[in-house]
Parts: sequence; structure tokens; C-alpha cells
Amino acid sequence: MIFILLTTVFLIMRVLPGDPVLLHFEKMENPELIAAMRIRLGLDKPLPIQYFEYLFGLFRGDLGISMQDYSPIGQQIFSAFPATLELAIFSMTIAVLIGVLLGVESSKSYNSPKDHVVRLFGIVTYAIPVFFLGMILQIIFGVWLHWLPVGGRTFQTMAPTGLNFGDLHFSTGLYTIDSLFEGNIIKLGTSLKYLFLPSLTLGLVLCGPFIRLTRSNMFETLRLDFVTAAKARGLKDSTVTYGYALRNAFLPVLTMMGLQFALLLGGAVLTETTFSWPGLGRYLIDRINFRDYTAIQGVVVVFGLFVSFVSLGIDLLYAYLDPRIRL
Amino acid sequence: MIVGILIVVIIIAGVASYYFYSTQNPALKDTLIMGTTDSVESCLDPARAYDFFGFEIVQSLGSPLVEYKADATGSIDDIIPALATSWDVSADGLTWTFNLRQGVMFDSEREFTADDVKYTFDRGIGIADPDGAFVGVGIGDIIDSVTVVSDYVVKFQLKIPFAAFLSLMAFQACYIVDPQYAPMAGSSWSIDDIVLYEDGNPRGSNPMALGPYTLKSWTRVAGKDTEMTLEANPLYWNAGAGYPKTKTINIVFYADSSGLALAITAGDVDVAFRQLATNDIATMKTNPDLKVWEGTGAFIQYLCLQQKNAPFDNPTIRGAVATAIDRTALVDTVFQGQAQELYSMIPIGMFGHTEAFKVLGDPNYTLTRELLALFGYNENNKLSFKLWYETSGHYPQSPQQALVLKDSLEASGVISVTLESRDWAAYRTARQEEIMQAYILGWYPDYIDPDDYIFPFVHSTGGSWIHHNYANPQMDNLIEWARGNTTSAARQSLYSQIGDLMVQDIPIIPLYQGGAYAVSRTNVEGIYLDITQNWRHWLVYAKQ
Repeated sequence: MIFILLTTVFLIMRVLPGDPVLLHFEKMENPELIAAMRIRLGLDKPLPIQYFEYLFGLFRGDLGISMQDYSPIGQQIFSAFPATLELAIFSMTIAVLIGVLLGVESSKSYNSPKDHVVRLFGIVTYAIPVFFLGMILQIIFGVWLHWLPVGGRTFQTMAPTGLNFGDLHFSTGLYTIDSLFEGNIIKLGTSLKYLFLPSLTLGLVLCGPFIRLTRSNMFETLRLDFVTAAKARGLKDSTVTYGYALRNAFLPVLTMMGLQFALLLGGAVLTETTFSWPGLGRYLIDRINFRDYTAIQGVVVVFGLFVSFVSLGIDLLYAYLDPRIRL
Repeated sequence: MIVGILIVVIIIAGVASYYFYSTQNPALKDTLIMGTTDSVESCLDPARAYDFFGFEIVQSLGSPLVEYKADATGSIDDIIPALATSWDVSADGLTWTFNLRQGVMFDSEREFTADDVKYTFDRGIGIADPDGAFVGVGIGDIIDSVTVVSDYVVKFQLKIPFAAFLSLMAFQACYIVDPQYAPMAGSSWSIDDIVLYEDGNPRGSNPMALGPYTLKSWTRVAGKDTEMTLEANPLYWNAGAGYPKTKTINIVFYADSSGLALAITAGDVDVAFRQLATNDIATMKTNPDLKVWEGTGAFIQYLCLQQKNAPFDNPTIRGAVATAIDRTALVDTVFQGQAQELYSMIPIGMFGHTEAFKVLGDPNYTLTRELLALFGYNENNKLSFKLWYETSGHYPQSPQQALVLKDSLEASGVISVTLESRDWAAYRTARQEEIMQAYILGWYPDYIDPDDYIFPFVHSTGGSWIHHNYANPQMDNLIEWARGNTTSAARQSLYSQIGDLMVQDIPIIPLYQGGAYAVSRTNVEGIYLDITQNWRHWLVYAKQ
């Protein structure tokens, strides 16, 4: 699948109008220098050779060099990936929490005004453009209330260093985790403060499908015999709803989480731009403008691998939660 | 009674001295937070850096031989000593001699000498990085050799007389590097000698020295700046005069103009510079917590017409198009007055500027119809062509500009315009392929001289990169005389003749000159936005 994705992107980039070599020559043109640049970027070779060279490099773990600033692509991608991963994890957590809680409440009040309000909320947040919602939240929490910063990943000098134990140094690139490793609560608070608005924005946009899915599944589950039996035994309503019914209704939600990850990465592109979040989404947009073929291919490979791993993880979790599908 | 009088006197003296002290020496903030949407494009090595923000940092970390004073108008008289205290030029304009400042120290505490000047220029010319300004501006085509006369005297031998040489010396690409941090790896200069960003090593990530600031920290993620801190350089040669005014500058980076606008409005940053949207600037003018700084812009935009094919191979038809441009509508509608109508390629406020294109009207549709009627164009047989513009924000508000230009041209009743757009990468390729009939381009200057607004556009070789296929030997001669002549009056006359010839030939149509804007909190002072486009961090300060 990754291979097909990579091949498609490789070909599409070459077909698109725009030449990465010419972008190095905005105010001046010298045919000899242009030819030298083409050789330097490896674009003088026939397309099949370029393709196979790229593939061989990829199998060796070499993503090539940037056609814009000549830096190693692997280094650039992995410097931005933790920011995107952290945003993805927090956004998905917020989306699932809001989606499941509202979905459960909605199913319990089927066809009531509360149900209608929750459904409307789900539709509106799903339909609203992510950058628009982001700007609204920035204005409310940043400009009016001055509670949260409007952009960036942390305050200068507040970037956590991670775990430092003598000569041992380890950092994940996830600022929240690294703050904990460092044992610095102030840095953790600062990281969360910067993370909150972009995560909330993306989480709200993604929560709509979770609301609808949880609502419909819970609506059916709450009417099954085992739920009636649990209620008849005098168990508390919250125990029946969340301990019994939701556990059964949660499996499709889990599947949806896997599917939503791809959408989340798409949404992250816009969210990262709106909140000046230095992740892979912004990087991808920048590099498309520069026709930085190697960088775009690299990001697509990483995104593809990321979605594949998440899907695999979800499948494994699915088997854990539902013993019936274990081999 | 006496005690009471004494107390009153002491209070009055205290208040007076506090008032005197506070007006003379207002307490300044140690740290200033600056917000921008810019980022260093590639690196901070002047042999490669060729972008606005890269230059902004290079000039904060380094020093040139000469520099423009704040509030400069681009006149030669605005050039003041920096690392050179005085200079001379030979009668033929081919030899420039600079006497250097003594006692200037690198951070290694080695003294700056003429050897460092020679090293800087030999290195830039030797590396000849195609991404850099040494190649882009053709510095190697101007300078023949640099000779060390003594420790404090250096001589430049030029290949051609070049009137804008002092201005070129103030250009950021010509800032002096510290040889210790810009070594030659092999036996000759190569592109591999460029000093690149190194994670966690700000000192090793730039070859600059001798400037008002040092680079305390610099973080890039995926080729974009995420954090940068400048710290005052105690060894700066002008530190004795109280520069830099602010000890520490923290630079915060935003992805787009709306993020930057929100940040300055929310008070997250003290100063916002580049790029704020026209609408945001207009709104901020009414915000009592903010101060909008307005200055002369040196950025211009112009309309190119492809002259290798009909109909624009004909200067009269090109002239007809020029008569139908409504620059006032462009400036008022698109830029809400934050730009100026431009009637010459040389910007307003710069030596050599004339209003040459004004004779064609602004617009003059009667003249448009008369000129086009000569070729059979009328209301029933309109001159039709495609107007191209870019869509990736490479130039400000290009789609809106194209719409206003289309309206303006079609208001003549005898011109029909179809709009065509591409993102910058595809637009750049289309320019190379010469498939665009009419297309909008823009220009930020390199060195501040009329030559930088004329030679790269209408000289047959200098302007070949535009691909509009204009060549006129008479124009080439005038340009070459103007760039070689060191007499101001003679140059003024030559640029006036060039302007007149441009109106006759219409090789290119100037549209507007952008304004320069910055927004700060009200306690910030020391911002100068002049035609040099230099952002002088070392002059900016904020009161407590």
C-alpha cells in the first residue's frame, strides 16, 4: 500500500507544472548554473533511474536531500514529526472523550431536546472549517481573555530537555512527556497551555462522527436484554451505561478512531498553519510550494506508515477488547 | 516650620529629579519579543543567504564596511562609516580604497583587519553559490580583486566602473565574516564551505561577527525557524554609543499573517513585522494599545508583456495597455491606501525617480481607444489577451491585483482580459517557457540604487531573466553609462532619459510601490522603516 502511495506521489509530482531547479533562480538565470543545479539535485537522470534510486535509498532508510535547502529529509521530517504526533494524540483523545460522552448522553435522551442539541453540535463541529474554528477560539481565549497563547509550541526558553541522567540524555520530542521526564511542572504547564487550543480545535472538528456512532450504537445496546437484566439487578445507572453498555458499543468507535487518524492528519495540515504549530503538516504545505519532490515523498511515506501503524494498533486492540475475534 | 519647609523642598527635589531622570533615561525593557511570519530561508551565511529575514539577522550579527543611516532616502549622502571610517575612489571609478576602523574585536578577541575583508570577498566570489547574492547580483562580475594594503587599508579593484559600489558594500551579502567560523575545508572554495544550521550550536550555525548582537539560540524544525534569541554583543564596535538599545531580542515565528495579527493584538509580542495583511493593519490603526509604524517601501510590482509575439511585439499596442492602467484603483481597492502609485521603475523617494509614465494617463481611455484604433481594435473587435498572476502568496494579494487590473483594462471598452493563475512554482516555469502574454512580477531591491531597478529589467542581458524579450541598444548604452558614471548630476540626467525611452518603448509597465509597515505596543520606540528595507534590531527599544 505504501509502495503504491509512494509511486503515485512520485509520478504526480513530476507531472505537476513547476520545476524545483528554477526556483533557485528567481532573479538571475544562467544556463550553465541551471544545468549544474539539475545535476546536483539528481534531476538530470531519466525518470525510471530517479525512481529506482529513490526506492533503493528508501530501503536503506535514506529519504534523500531537500531540493530546496539541501538538508537531509529524514532529519527534517523527524524534527517535525513529534509535534504532529503530540497534536494527533491530544486531538484524538479530546475527540473521543467529547464524542463518546455526548453520544452516550444523547442516546439516553433519545429524541429529546438534549438529543437534538447534541446532534446539532456534532453536525456543526463536523461541518465547520478547522481554520475558522481555530481563529474563533484564538480570538476568544487569546485576544479577549488572554488565557492562552494564540500560536507556537512553547514559550522561548521553556522547551523541555527530556531525561538527563549523567551522560544519558533521552527525549521523545513530545513536550508534555519530556517535561515529565525533566520533572519540570512549569514546563509541563506551559506545554499544555500551548497545546490546548490546537488540540481542542482539531478534537472538536473530529468529534462529530464519534457522537453519531456512539449515539446510534448505544441506542441499540441500551435496549438489549443484558442491559435490562443489569438494571433489574439494581446496578447503578452509570455502571450499567459505562461499564456494560458502552463497552459493547465501543468497538465500532475504536474502528472509527483508526479511520479518523487519516482525516486527523489532513486536519493537522490546516490546524498547524492556524496555530503556527511546527509540525509535518506545515512542512508539507511549504514543500509543495517549493516542489521539493523528495520532501513531499518523504512526508507521504511517513504519513502512510503512521496511518498503517495506527490501524494495526487498533486491530490488535480490537482483538483484545472482543475475545470473539481472536484466533 | 523649618522641618516642614525642608520636607516640601525634599519632595519637590525628589519629584523633579525623578521627572528629569525618567524623561532623560526612561527605564528600558531588557527583553523585547518580536513576532514575524518570516523564517531564514536557507542559512545565515552571506555567501548563500538571499532572503529578507536571513538578511535581517545577518545585519544584526555582523557589520559591513559602510552602512545606511536610519531614515535613509537612498542618497549616497546617507551612507555612513561602519567598519570603514573613510574611503576614496580613483578618477576612473575602478579603484576603491577603504580605511578601516582600528581596535574592532572578534568574539575570539582577535582584532579585525584588512585580511578579514579580503577573506570575506574572496570567499563569497570563490564559493559562487547559485542560491546566493554573490551570483544573483553578479558581485564577481563587478569586483576584480581585493588587495590588503596594510592592516587597516584595503583596496578593491573593479572590472567595470560601478557607481553604486558604496551601496553594494552596504548590502548584507557584503557583511564581513569571521574566518574562524567560515573556514575553507578543501584546497579551494566550494559550495560545501557554506556554513549551515547546526542543531544546538548557534555559534557554529553562522559565520558572522562584529555586529550589535550575537546569536544566543536558534532552533529550526523541518527547515523553518521556531525560535531565535539575539543577545547584545559586548564587543560591538559601536557599543560605546549605547547600541544595541535592547539587550535581548526574542523572535517568535508565526505561520501566517492572521496568527501574527492575533499575537500582537493579544499582547503575546511587542513588535510585529512582516507580514501583516492590509485589513489587519487598517484595523490596528484604530486600536489604542497598538502603534502602527509606516515607512517607505522599496518593493515594487510591474506588468510584463511578452514581446516576442503579436500583439505585444508592437510598442504602440503595449503603450495602449499602459494608458488603460488605473493605478489609483489598484492602490485604493487592493491595498487600502497602504501603497503608492508608481510611474517609473525607480521607486518614489529614490534618487533618479521620475513620473515618466504619467504622460500616458492614469488611465486615459480616450488615448487607449485612439492607439488601438490604429490597429483595427474597437468595441466590436477588442484587443484580447491573458493576464497571468501567481496564487501562492509570493506577492501580496495577487488575485485581487489581477481582478482590479482586468476591470481597469476592460473599462476602456476596447480591451478584453482573461485571467489565468498558477502557484509560484508553476508560474516561475511558465515565465521561463515564455508562454505568458501579460504577467505581474515584483521586486525587492538588493543594493539601494536606481541601477538595481533598471539594469535587471530593461538591459538586454541584465533583464533576460524576465523573459519579456525586450532589447534596445540605445537603452543598453544609457544604462551602462548610468551605472558607470560617478557624477550624481550626470546619472540623474541619464535615468531621466531612460525613463523617457521606457515610455516610448514600453518594455515594462510599473504599477505600484508597496508601503512598509510594522505594528508595536505603544511603549516601543526606535523603529525606522526607510527605503533600505533594513530592520535595525539594535535601535528598537521598549519602555518599562
